[in-house]
Amino acid sequence: MSQKDIPVLKPDTPVILEMNRISKTFGAVTALVDVSIKLHQGEVLALVGDNGAGKSTLIKILSGFHHPDSGTIVYQGKEVHFRSPRDARAQGIETVYQDLALINDLSIYHNMFIGREYHKRVLGLKLLDNRKMRDLAQTYLNSLGIQIPSVNSTVDLLSGGQRQSVAVARSIYSSPTVLVLDEPLAALGVREGAHVLGLIQNLRRQRSVSIILIVHNYNQVFEVCDRINFLHSGEIALDASTSDTSEEQLIRIVKSGLGRQAIAAAAAEVEASTGSTSTNRL
Amino acid sequence: MPRRVGIALPDTAFERALVILSRYREASIAVVALVLAIYFQVGSNGAFLSSQELSVVLRDTGRFGLIAVAEVMLMITGEIDLSVGSTFSLAPYVMVLMSIGWGVPLALSAVAGILLGVLIGLVNGIITVRFRVPSLITTVGTFFLLQGVVVSIYNSQPIVAPVQEPFNEIFGENLYSPTDSLWSWHGLTAFTPFLWTLLVVLAMALVLNRTTFGLHTIATGSNIVGAREIGVRTDRIKVYNFMIAGAFAAAAGVINTTQFASADPLAGGPFLTLQAIAAAVIGGTSLLGGSGTAIGSLLGAFVVATLNNGLVMMGAQATVSDIYLGTAIVLAMILNVQVDRMRARRRV
Repeated sequence: MSQKDIPVLKPDTPVILEMNRISKTFGAVTALVDVSIKLHQGEVLALVGDNGAGKSTLIKILSGFHHPDSGTIVYQGKEVHFRSPRDARAQGIETVYQDLALINDLSIYHNMFIGREYHKRVLGLKLLDNRKMRDLAQTYLNSLGIQIPSVNSTVDLLSGGQRQSVAVARSIYSSPTVLVLDEPLAALGVREGAHVLGLIQNLRRQRSVSIILIVHNYNQVFEVCDRINFLHSGEIALDASTSDTSEEQLIRIVKSGLGRQAIAAAAAEVEASTGSTSTNRL
Repeated sequence: MPRRVGIALPDTAFERALVILSRYREASIAVVALVLAIYFQVGSNGAFLSSQELSVVLRDTGRFGLIAVAEVMLMITGEIDLSVGSTFSLAPYVMVLMSIGWGVPLALSAVAGILLGVLIGLVNGIITVRFRVPSLITTVGTFFLLQGVVVSIYNSQPIVAPVQEPFNEIFGENLYSPTDSLWSWHGLTAFTPFLWTLLVVLAMALVLNRTTFGLHTIATGSNIVGAREIGVRTDRIKVYNFMIAGAFAAAAGVINTTQFASADPLAGGPFLTLQAIAAAVIGGTSLLGGSGTAIGSLLGAFVVATLNNGLVMMGAQATVSDIYLGTAIVLAMILNVQVDRMRARRRV
C-alpha cells in the first residue's frame, strides 16, 4: 500500500476530540486511571496495548455505552455527555465494536440501517421503507467492493470477513465525524484484512473523518496510522507519532512493558537514540 | 459423494422436514389446524363444523389468541409474562365495580380496566429491566399478587356485569344463529371477540414486520448487547412489550366479561396463562428470542381451542384433552428449538 499519496497532517491541525483524565472502575476492577487522549481533525490514531489494558472500556465510554466515573469529553470544542450509544451516533461518532453488534436474525440491509431506518407513510402509518433500505444497502456495499450473496440474507449466513465488512460499511455510511474501530482486523484473513485496511486508508487519504483504531498488529499500525497511544494497565504509557517512531522501536517498548518503569526506561532509550520528539507521559 | 468444504446440506429426512417447516412456519401450523378440524369433523359425525360448536371454538380462539400474540412479542424480546391470567380477571372486575359502584359508562370503565393492564405491564417491565429480575420470576410474583387482590375484593364472588348497548354488541355479540349457514360471514366469525382478535393479530404482524418498533423488538431478543451498542433502547423495548401484554390481557378479560355479562375473579388464573403460552409455542415461537410469528399465535390459539373443545364434543372427559395439549406443546417446542438450532448452524 502506498503511503505517498497520503497528505501529511499539518502541525496546527485542530483537535476534534479530547478525552480528559477519564477514570472508570467496575466494582473492584479498576479499568482506567486518568486516561487522556487527543484526536486531531482527519487523524488516524492507533490505540495499542495488551489485553485488559482498558482500550475497549475507553472507546465504550466514548461511544456512550459506558459512563465514566470521572473525567470529561470535549468534542468539536464543547464538553459532551453521551447518555447512550444513540446519543453518540446522533452526534457523528460511529463505533465498530469488537463483537460487531450485528443482529443475526435480521437481514443485511436491516442491520445496515438499524437505528436510522427509512420510513414511508402508508395510509398515515409510519412503516419501514424496506425497498429503499435494500437498494441503498446493495448500492453502497457494491461501491465499497464488499462482496455478499444478497442484502436480503440474514447476517448469520455471512463469513467472518463479510460480517466485519458489513459492520465497517454500516459505520462509515453516515459519513461520521469520528470513527472508532475496535480491532477491525481481528477475525480476518490476509486478503479480507487488506480490504478493510484499504477502506481505512481511503478514509485517511480524504482526511474528512478522524479515526481511533484499536489494533494488535503493529505492522498495520504503521501502514494506516498517524499517531500511536500505548495504553498499559489503564494508563497511557506512550504517545508517539508514527513518523518519529519506527515499528521496531515500538515493539521494543511494548515488549518491555510489564511495569511502568520498564516502559518509561525503554521509551527514554528510544527517545535518546533517535532524538525524536515523541512524548512520554510518565 | 466426496466431502466438500462449506455448509452441509440437510441430509436426513428429519432435517429436510425441518427446513420445510421453518420456511413455511405459519403454513405448517395451518396444516395442523386443518387436519385437526377434519379429524374432529369426521369423528363427531359432522357436528364440529355444522353446529354451534365452532362458534365456541372461535370464541376461545379469540380469547387465547389475543393474549398469545402479546406473549409472542415478549418471547421475541426473550421475556415472558405469566401474570396475564390474573390481569385477565382483575381488569374486568375493576371495570364492573366502577360501572356499578360509580355509574361510570361501561365503555369508559373498560378503558380504565385496560389502562390498569398497561400499568401492570409497566410494573412488570420495570421490575424486570431495572432490578434485573428474570421475567419468569417477576410475573409469577405479580400473578399471585393480583390474583390475591381480585379474590379478596368480594371473597371470590362473581359479580353480574351491566349490559349496555352498543358496547355489548360490539364486544360480546354472538353473531351466529342456528339458521345461519356455516359458510356465511356470521358462521365463520361467530363471536365479535374473534373478529377483534383477528384484527389485533393482523395489526401486530404489521408492527412486527414493518415498523421500527418490530425491528428493534427482534434485535433486542436476537442480540441484546449488540442491539444496545448500535443504539437500540432495549430496556424500553422490553417495557413497551410488557405494557402491550398487560393491555391485551386486560382487553381479553373485558371482552370475556362482556360476553358472559359476569366478572368472575377466577375466570383467568394460571390455566389461561399457560394456554396462551401454549398457543404461542404451538404457533411457532420459541422462547429463545429473536424470532416469532404473530399470525402463528392465532393459528396456535385455534389448535388449543380445538383440542379443548373437540375432544369433549366427541364424548371424552375434559381432562383427556390435556394429554393431547401437553403432547402438542412438547412436540411443537422440540420442533421450534430444532429449527432455531439448524438456523444457528446455518443449515436453513
